Amino acid sequence: MRAARENLFHLIEPLLPHVEHPSRYLDHEWGVCEEQDGPFHLCMVYADVYEVGQPNLGVAILYNNVNAQEGMSCERCYLPWKDMSALMRERGVPLLSLEGAAPLASFDAIGFTLAHELIATNVLETLDLAGIALTSAERDEDDPIILAGGPSAWNCEPLAPVFDAVLLGDGEESIVEVCACIRDARAEGLSRADLLRRLARVPGTYVPSLYDVVVDESTTRWGRAVPRAGEDAPKVVLKRCVNDFASTPAVAQRIVPYMGIVQDRLSLEVLRGCARGCRFCQAGMTYRPVRERPAEQVVRCGVEGLLTSGHDEISLTSLSTTDHSQCELILNKMNEALDGQGIRVSIPSQRLDSFGVDMAAAVAGGKRGGLTFAPEAGSQRLRDVINKNVTEEDLERAARNAFAAGWRRMKLYFMIGLPTETDEDVVGIARMAERVLEIGREVVGRGPKSGVSVSISVAVLVPKPYTPFQWVGQLKPEEVRRRQQLLLHEVRDRAIRVSYHDADVSLVEGALSKMGRAGFELVRAAWERGCRFDAWTSEFDFCAWNEAARSCGLDLEEVACEQFPLTAALPWAHTSPGVSMGYLQREWRRAVEGVTTPDCTRESCTGCGVCPALGVHNVIQGVRS
Amino acid sequence: MRGRANAQPFSARPQDLPVKADLARLRVEYGKDERLAFLGHLEVLSTVERSIRRARLPFSIGNGFARRMRIQFSQALPVGASSACEYFDLRLTERVNPQEALDALRASTPRGLAPARAAYVPGRLPALEAWLDRSIWELEVRGASWGADDIAAAIGEVVRRGSLTYLRGEKAKTVDVASSLVGFSAFDGGGFIGLTLETRLTGGNALRPQVLLDAALGLSGMPRYDSVRVRRTLQAHEEDGRLVEPFCGSDAIATSSLF
Repeated sequence: MRAARENLFHLIEPLLPHVEHPSRYLDHEWGVCEEQDGPFHLCMVYADVYEVGQPNLGVAILYNNVNAQEGMSCERCYLPWKDMSALMRERGVPLLSLEGAAPLASFDAIGFTLAHELIATNVLETLDLAGIALTSAERDEDDPIILAGGPSAWNCEPLAPVFDAVLLGDGEESIVEVCACIRDARAEGLSRADLLRRLARVPGTYVPSLYDVVVDESTTRWGRAVPRAGEDAPKVVLKRCVNDFASTPAVAQRIVPYMGIVQDRLSLEVLRGCARGCRFCQAGMTYRPVRERPAEQVVRCGVEGLLTSGHDEISLTSLSTTDHSQCELILNKMNEALDGQGIRVSIPSQRLDSFGVDMAAAVAGGKRGGLTFAPEAGSQRLRDVINKNVTEEDLERAARNAFAAGWRRMKLYFMIGLPTETDEDVVGIARMAERVLEIGREVVGRGPKSGVSVSISVAVLVPKPYTPFQWVGQLKPEEVRRRQQLLLHEVRDRAIRVSYHDADVSLVEGALSKMGRAGFELVRAAWERGCRFDAWTSEFDFCAWNEAARSCGLDLEEVACEQFPLTAALPWAHTSPGVSMGYLQREWRRAVEGVTTPDCTRESCTGCGVCPALGVHNVIQGVRS
Repeated sequence: MRGRANAQPFSARPQDLPVKADLARLRVEYGKDERLAFLGHLEVLSTVERSIRRARLPFSIGNGFARRMRIQFSQALPVGASSACEYFDLRLTERVNPQEALDALRASTPRGLAPARAAYVPGRLPALEAWLDRSIWELEVRGASWGADDIAAAIGEVVRRGSLTYLRGEKAKTVDVASSLVGFSAFDGGGFIGLTLETRLTGGNALRPQVLLDAALGLSGMPRYDSVRVRRTLQAHEEDGRLVEPFCGSDAIATSSLF
């Protein structure tokens, strides 16, 4: 039954002296939307603590768009840390939204952002704390409609029983349409089942309860989802895409937090999508096409955003900001406009092949902290396999430019477990790091006070849906650990620091990326065994995950490391970002042959299928070189 | 008021930059109220700095690597404590009318941290944190099974012992109570026990009101209470045994009409 809508902050306030970081639960930040009159109420949830969820751009965009609608309100909710949730359970306090301190169970709809796979148990924890049934099938007629979306929705099957509807692709427009659909259906007195049927007619909306999972010889063991007989649901739900990206507000973040958050700066999304075609990268495939904002809009909105927010740093975010055809112009104009105000302009990570002398001068204003590049693999052969079209010369040139421009610390991202990887490729990572260090010492000097250092961060490849590597089995944890040790052994200079991802965490992430709907039992069993905040190193409990898997008759290693046949119908094939299976299969074959594929924003179309499928096209403001 | 675009340029040579003490020093009094009492000190600092940027005051930027705003704050408040009298000193590259500065700040600051007064103070005064060395605190203790006289006697016992030691995280801290606690009184407020504490900064660890209360209860074996509200009601400078108010000597003190 729907809970009453009322402000219950007085139940939270007495708990604040007893928890860490009470500012997580305060609301009343600058820029918050105070008017929450509805009558339609949506609550956007990022199922992690405030400081992790608050910087999320997706939540900010949807929050603004819904609040801008007449008759609709949108609030936020983050998952309380364990100390607060324990107190809330002890005292019978339900999970509340921030703005109105209203019970989550009183909202018309609740929208989860699926930022990564390891957030799965936190979704269940959120619902449980809110007193809402965990699965769609268990909910009452007037319970809130539970929505989801975000980057990890591309295989949402392990959580499909939880969600009433999943919004695929850009949510700017679809969230408003979905809310309007729920509002109207409720006003008409439709049953919950009929409401969900109507939601399935909103383009880009996947309603899991209208699909059955069929396992046959054409599928993997997880089967495929097909519309249930008699239901008028699309066989394949295509994502939504905002083609006129420049018409959307450039600065979505209006709320200025009190506490230090993980990205404590103003973010401006300068472009969306990336066509570089890195074969491991899910975002590169699922956010296509590429849409750039004009330089004038970026600079104007960035300066305005800083004045209205009071931030002292602005980050020009995107999947690959230095690919923006007007990147240098933007940086120069912005630095000029902000001169003398102690404001830093930053870019999340740099492309090796576009970090020239001018770029080095323009990034980060007067500050020279660390600089991050992502060569991803230690040999040219393997970089060709993954279609990371950068060369050793690119790295050397970029490193030289950066050290000459004043940087002293260089961070390099790599992956291990890539298809066809050999020990030689792993050793190549160490050699690349040494080469960069040597360049730093050549440019800056060799003395201990030169401060030159290189750190390498090595992730494990988790093959993701809708990438050319989606059929690949993940590298077994034992082999991951052997290759990590090999790398550690090969790095001999103490000025090179090595960090690497935990093989067990990657294994769970891999299993969740691969499983079909039956995987929900695993997620539920893990949550029942106390798994929460799995993305937090301090909280991840591999034993509990293993126990949960055993209780469901599963073996995590077997699930994550299974190779799927190239022709099999995949568990996520009924939801599509527009990239064709044929293109992904072709890209897989080219990967095995070590043949690279160019970027369609620089050369001709590579036939990924997105533009014809969605009726969209790349929008490039200048000329990419 | 000059816009920030005309503020102190980055490209200036160090020898051309203004000397800190010669810059206008605007002192601002603000409160810490309602739920914002639960902000930590660093959270207050960053919120105030962002409010100043939003107010577009011509603030000065330091010459160090980090290029930070030149601003000083009074002694940190414990998380959960509210206040009617917190202060910051902001260095400006030009003298702005204090009333205009205060109005701009009020319009750009969250309500719970709203500024109340502003005035220019001499540039060469000592740092605020050390200069404001006297505080008055009011505590409202609810759900206590003891009376005002009991707690007064218990605090008296702590004072007689001279010092107290408590754990802050895993670190043991000792406070010189005899010299930190200038005076105290307790009263029955009808539904709560009220405590007024007058404290002094001694150069050692600062005396936190709730730490004193808990130490007194622990020492006398008295049971704990349900909740306590702590509020700082005065900060001042002690000079020759008398209290000097933070704006003493300032001629034009801008005030907010709401206070």
